[in-house]
Amino acid sequence: MISRWALWITYGAHNHRPPLITDIRRTQQNLTSIKLSSSLSSSSSTSAAGEYLRLSDEELMAQCEMDTFKASGPGGQHRNKRESAVRLKHLPTGIIAQAVEDRSQHKNRASALCRLRTLLALKVRNAIELDGYRPPSELLQILPAKSTIRGSEVGPQIGPNNPKFTLGMQALLDLIFTVDGSVSEGAKILGLSTGALSRLILSDDSLRAAVNELRTSKGMRPLK
Amino acid sequence: MIYRLKLPILSASSSCLRRRRLSFYSTTAATASSFASHLSPPLKPQTPLFLRPLSHSTSPSSLLSFRQWAESLARSYAADLSIDGGPSASELIRELSWLLQDATFQAGETMLLRTDLQDLYCLWMQRIEARRPFQYIVGCEHWRDLVLAVREGVLIPRPETEELVDLVAGVEGFKDGLWADLGTGSGAIAIGIGRILGENGRVVATDLSEAAVEVARFNVGRYKLEDKVEIRQGHWFEPLQDLHGKLSGLVSNPPYIPSSHIPGLQAEVGKHEPSLALDGGMNGMDHLLHLCDGLISALKPGGFFAFETNGDKQSEYIVDFISSQGSNTFHDMRIVADFAGVRRFVTGYCQ
Repeated sequence: MISRWALWITYGAHNHRPPLITDIRRTQQNLTSIKLSSSLSSSSSTSAAGEYLRLSDEELMAQCEMDTFKASGPGGQHRNKRESAVRLKHLPTGIIAQAVEDRSQHKNRASALCRLRTLLALKVRNAIELDGYRPPSELLQILPAKSTIRGSEVGPQIGPNNPKFTLGMQALLDLIFTVDGSVSEGAKILGLSTGALSRLILSDDSLRAAVNELRTSKGMRPLK
Repeated sequence: MIYRLKLPILSASSSCLRRRRLSFYSTTAATASSFASHLSPPLKPQTPLFLRPLSHSTSPSSLLSFRQWAESLARSYAADLSIDGGPSASELIRELSWLLQDATFQAGETMLLRTDLQDLYCLWMQRIEARRPFQYIVGCEHWRDLVLAVREGVLIPRPETEELVDLVAGVEGFKDGLWADLGTGSGAIAIGIGRILGENGRVVATDLSEAAVEVARFNVGRYKLEDKVEIRQGHWFEPLQDLHGKLSGLVSNPPYIPSSHIPGLQAEVGKHEPSLALDGGMNGMDHLLHLCDGLISALKPGGFFAFETNGDKQSEYIVDFISSQGSNTFHDMRIVADFAGVRRFVTGYCQ
């Protein structure tokens, strides 16, 4: 499982030079995390990916190794040096997310975790069965209101800036992968016009990149 | 004083450079520190740079010249700075971008500034030549999700200490507790706790230093936590007489550096930060042991404590010391590592 996902390793998209990381330490909660992640992957390997995104920050953090700088000298009060870069490795999938741009370690950890959620949504695919397929509510929430399968009870459309968008994006990618990258087929299932689904895909850079990567690999034209 | 003259920018920068050469070849600890005190701005009033109004302006090209000058100064000095563990060139250049982030705002073709361009030259000169800490230059430090005002006389909160707040957050029922932060400095820990408390929770924080008390109150006010976090001036437990036996928990990051290590500290710390907040006496544990002695009478039954230490050996010593006060007095004592793997914190509960 891990070796398969190791192929998916992606670095947090940022133009900064990666930090020199010399020491890898597990986060303290990892003893509990190992139990958690093994129960997740053994219950159903296909549903695990969706489950990662439903974990709380603490639970997700517990499945990660955090790379830190090796202590050079006593640290603490002795030292005035900003070493705020954080790199998280999600152990069940091997996905790596990092953040270096913020001035506080705490905020870089939050950014890295947020980035990890996006990468999990983009990189971890769940197989879906098209017969009798009903989009999960997270997917319905990111669809435009004109979708014919979207009832009024779903509420207003959630956009890419909302943290809940990630779950919907993951479900949408699961569907697009299942229909081999065909936007028209996906649109039919979601009760949308092909143009409307294209616009939704293009509204988020990482979503667009993931769909286009798939389409290119299938010999299809990328969406523009 | 030379920096206060209203010189055109270019000549100001070149005169800064000439000075650099001069003092570079006559460097001793004494000249470096007298230079530093010479350059230090008046302590009051000092609003952090990022909170000052955009009342100055310059052209993008002038600002670019500043950046190029500042980068080359950083590069040419980096090797000297690294001798005592100071910042590398890339770390200095990252600080420079943060300085500009705090000091500038682009409005079309004009760069608006929160201080005049000449002052930026002088601030950067102080940073490189006098080793004035970056956080004192900009007057703030980013810590957890906070931006805290700091200035000379107040310890700059360290990233390691961010974890103390998480240790408190892990205590059952912490949200409605009465907490104490002894030696609060900028108020970092107290504010970090105050922000995650529930409706009935409170923090009382103490510090001996008047500068620290003033800065901590400023920071508490900026986060509108006056109802939750109270700052009192005084020596460790002394301002808490009325709360003895009532505290749900007590945290502290007291000075813990052994006195003999103070002269060898990197200049940013040793020459600029208050020794009151760093020097822990001969073995570094004078204050830690004093805090341990006061724990029993300060905490209520079941109360929690967490101390930051110099790491490893000090942590072990503190655990032994507290345990030796009687096997039934404290329980669940733990040593917790910081993000760099140093066993930094000692925590436990009162019976």
